[in-house]
Amino acid sequence: MRNDIIMKRLLSIVILSALVLTSCSMASTDAGDKAAVSDGTVTAAGTGDKAEQSDMKSDDSVRSAVDFDHELEEYRPEKDNYNFYFTYKIVHPWWDAVALGMEDAQRKFLDKGITITYEYMAPDAASAEDQKRRLDEAKNGDYDVIGVDVADAEVISPVLDEMVDSGCKVMTFSSSDAREGCKRIAYVGNTHNYEDGADLTEALCEKLGYKGKVAILVGSVGAPCHEERALGAKDTIAKYADMEIVATEYDMDSVDMAYELTLKILDKNPDLDGIICCNMSNPVGAARAIIERGSDTVIVGMDHDEEALRYLKDGIIYCLGVQDCYSIGFDTLQIAVMIADGNMPGQLFEEETNEITTVIFQDDAALMHELLYGDE
Amino acid sequence: MKKQMTRKTFILTAVIGGVLLMVMTIFNTFESSRQTVTATNEAVSEVSSFYLEAMADRRSKTITNLIDSNFDQMEKAVAFIDDQHIGSEKELRDTIGNIKSLLSLGRFALVDNDNVVYTQYTTYTGGSRHSFLAKEQMDERSVSSVSIYGSSKQLCLAAPTPDLKIAGKQYKASFVQIDVSEVVDLLAFEDEGRTYFGLYSKNGENISGTELGPYIAKHNLFDSIKGVIPEQTWNENHDNFLNSVEGSITFTADGIEETLCYVPVEETDWMMVVLIRESVIHDRIRSVSEKSLSITKRQVAFTLVFCILFFGVLMNMLKTLLNKDLEAEKENTNNFRNMANTDSLTGVRNKHAYSEAEAYLNQRIRENDIDKLAIVVCDINGLKIVNDTLGHAAGDKLIKDASALICEYFTHGAVYRIGGDEFTVILQEKGYDTMHEVMAEINRVIEDNIKKNEVVVSIGYSKLTPEDQLVHDVFERADQMMYQRKQQLKSMGAPTRNE
Repeated sequence: MRNDIIMKRLLSIVILSALVLTSCSMASTDAGDKAAVSDGTVTAAGTGDKAEQSDMKSDDSVRSAVDFDHELEEYRPEKDNYNFYFTYKIVHPWWDAVALGMEDAQRKFLDKGITITYEYMAPDAASAEDQKRRLDEAKNGDYDVIGVDVADAEVISPVLDEMVDSGCKVMTFSSSDAREGCKRIAYVGNTHNYEDGADLTEALCEKLGYKGKVAILVGSVGAPCHEERALGAKDTIAKYADMEIVATEYDMDSVDMAYELTLKILDKNPDLDGIICCNMSNPVGAARAIIERGSDTVIVGMDHDEEALRYLKDGIIYCLGVQDCYSIGFDTLQIAVMIADGNMPGQLFEEETNEITTVIFQDDAALMHELLYGDE
Repeated sequence: MKKQMTRKTFILTAVIGGVLLMVMTIFNTFESSRQTVTATNEAVSEVSSFYLEAMADRRSKTITNLIDSNFDQMEKAVAFIDDQHIGSEKELRDTIGNIKSLLSLGRFALVDNDNVVYTQYTTYTGGSRHSFLAKEQMDERSVSSVSIYGSSKQLCLAAPTPDLKIAGKQYKASFVQIDVSEVVDLLAFEDEGRTYFGLYSKNGENISGTELGPYIAKHNLFDSIKGVIPEQTWNENHDNFLNSVEGSITFTADGIEETLCYVPVEETDWMMVVLIRESVIHDRIRSVSEKSLSITKRQVAFTLVFCILFFGVLMNMLKTLLNKDLEAEKENTNNFRNMANTDSLTGVRNKHAYSEAEAYLNQRIRENDIDKLAIVVCDINGLKIVNDTLGHAAGDKLIKDASALICEYFTHGAVYRIGGDEFTVILQEKGYDTMHEVMAEINRVIEDNIKKNEVVVSIGYSKLTPEDQLVHDVFERADQMMYQRKQQLKSMGAPTRNE
């Protein structure tokens, strides 16, 4: 009997020791895991001034930045045919990536015997007025759901409210939601644009030692995603006394304009230390200008443009925030079907379906390029 | 003696000839195998380049045919749409759907002048998505390879449609997109793992996603071979790619020689590259050669064993035949000798045999090699009378009776008929020892025969004495004694020549 008690005590000590060691190990692993997730933004293992990180962790973060392997939810659509209308800010490769996710979902529905037809339209230049016109036309069309990537929240939100009031099923998608309080049914896309802007700016500040002059390139005027990122950037800069914003410009989602604007900013501020780019065209135009001027200005920016990834690989761009466009497209079409069937946010889908942004650095560029565009 | 030499020469010649024949066969076989392997190895290098070029060319043409076929189908599709008098977007979608199934056009679409793309299920603004739409106006068909977001690659074939108007709207182009993976499936080699192919862009980027051997794998071709080949060769081949010129590269990586050939794929900016591992060809040929050599060795060994066994059997048969001949010859010789030494009437040895025996015994006497020797001389009494009165047949019978009598008693002696009525018996050893007993017995019978009028033989004998030089000496004494006995028998009534 006494031996049994001794044995039990020994066993307890062993188990306790094992638990303590396991906890320590897990704590250590967590501490060593560089990929940090905050408000939907994932920071991949980086380079430069970032601390040493495991390459494997970095690769995992990069690989999960865009999810190309989707399956439809178990939801059973009520109809065999659906017809949707989607409109987005501007004809641009970023939305082409979203379109591929939509087409994947469309094929998967087709495999289940459900035919989905849709229009996916945008103007060549971002314009709230153009979007308003398109929505007016769509309102009278035979569409089960109308999806909008809001060009200008102030202009478009009332239009959406009016459409909903008139019986249209309206959702927003991709990068820009309508303003708060809008009657649109749901939003699928980036819900953390402010944080994305703040995270990129934080990385830039760290790189610059929290001291220096920076410029902000925004995309389209009034485009919620661009404006929110710019706001996140401004608020971050404001935290550091030795950081100064010397210019804020809008490129209207044009690479050429981003290039021209950067040259002008550099002319006025030859000692510019950094540029914060809030959309996909900004970093490409900025990098071209930086190269042309031979400047060592540090660029942080958004998205997955192939040219931008090459600049990242070459060290011209310091870091990029890559959004999961494919998932945005896939989920948009899937939720559009649910909305078309009369479902409202709740158990089936969230009012806001968040898609992640992954901040990648120079060492991640080659892998990201391979994942998105194949081997160079 | 001369005959024996001929046989030995024959056997020796047969053996040496056989061995030489086998050695020559083995040598020729091995030499032939070696030369075949060497010649094949030399041929491999020459053939592989030609073979690779042909393979690359064939596959390149497959792609060109695919492109041409798709353009033809697109042309038919556009003509079909034009004939349908389509009035709405929905009708257009349905028609495109029908065309896709009818003409097996996977991803067929139309583009209007605003760069809006119309497919079976979607209508989208495609200005940024399709590079061929960058031009304001399309004047000719275009072929481009597109890297799709998500790393898949497609071949985009677009053709202008200047005359196509649907519901009053002008359409500028039609296009199809073909997954490069589908093209790759068309080109796949059966001998995967030995022959590789890949589609590359002008800057060496792998488009097909296929592995070009273990060294280059799926990477950029020129990045992979940089440092492996001389810089000048690298530059030449790089320029060939940029200028769509065919060529080949041989390099050694990880100790293995690789050869690749590339040819431009017509109508595209692709290069079809085919790589074959020469080591694989060499190994395969070596394997085949070794297998062939092994078979040859076994055949040679089998032939060798067979030849040895065959020659063994042949020699044995020859030996048997020769032995038989020898035996027959010996027998013939003996027969002839017997015939020469035998008296045909009585069957005992004749005078010739006695002469041989006498010569032999004389030799032994000379050598003092004999001590027990006695000669018995026998003469038939009254033979002439019988011949004259009763005829020769009766005389012959008398001779035979006399011979039988002599042989009956001198069983341990050699009996010779040395004349018409004269016999001699040579006694040695036991015959010699029992001579007196035999003489007494036979003389008693002879004396009885006188009374019975049967054969009477006068017998004299003599033993070899130390003074005798020859058998003849002994014979003379025996002969004298025989004459004395003849006289004695005459007195006892035996017939004689004089009566």
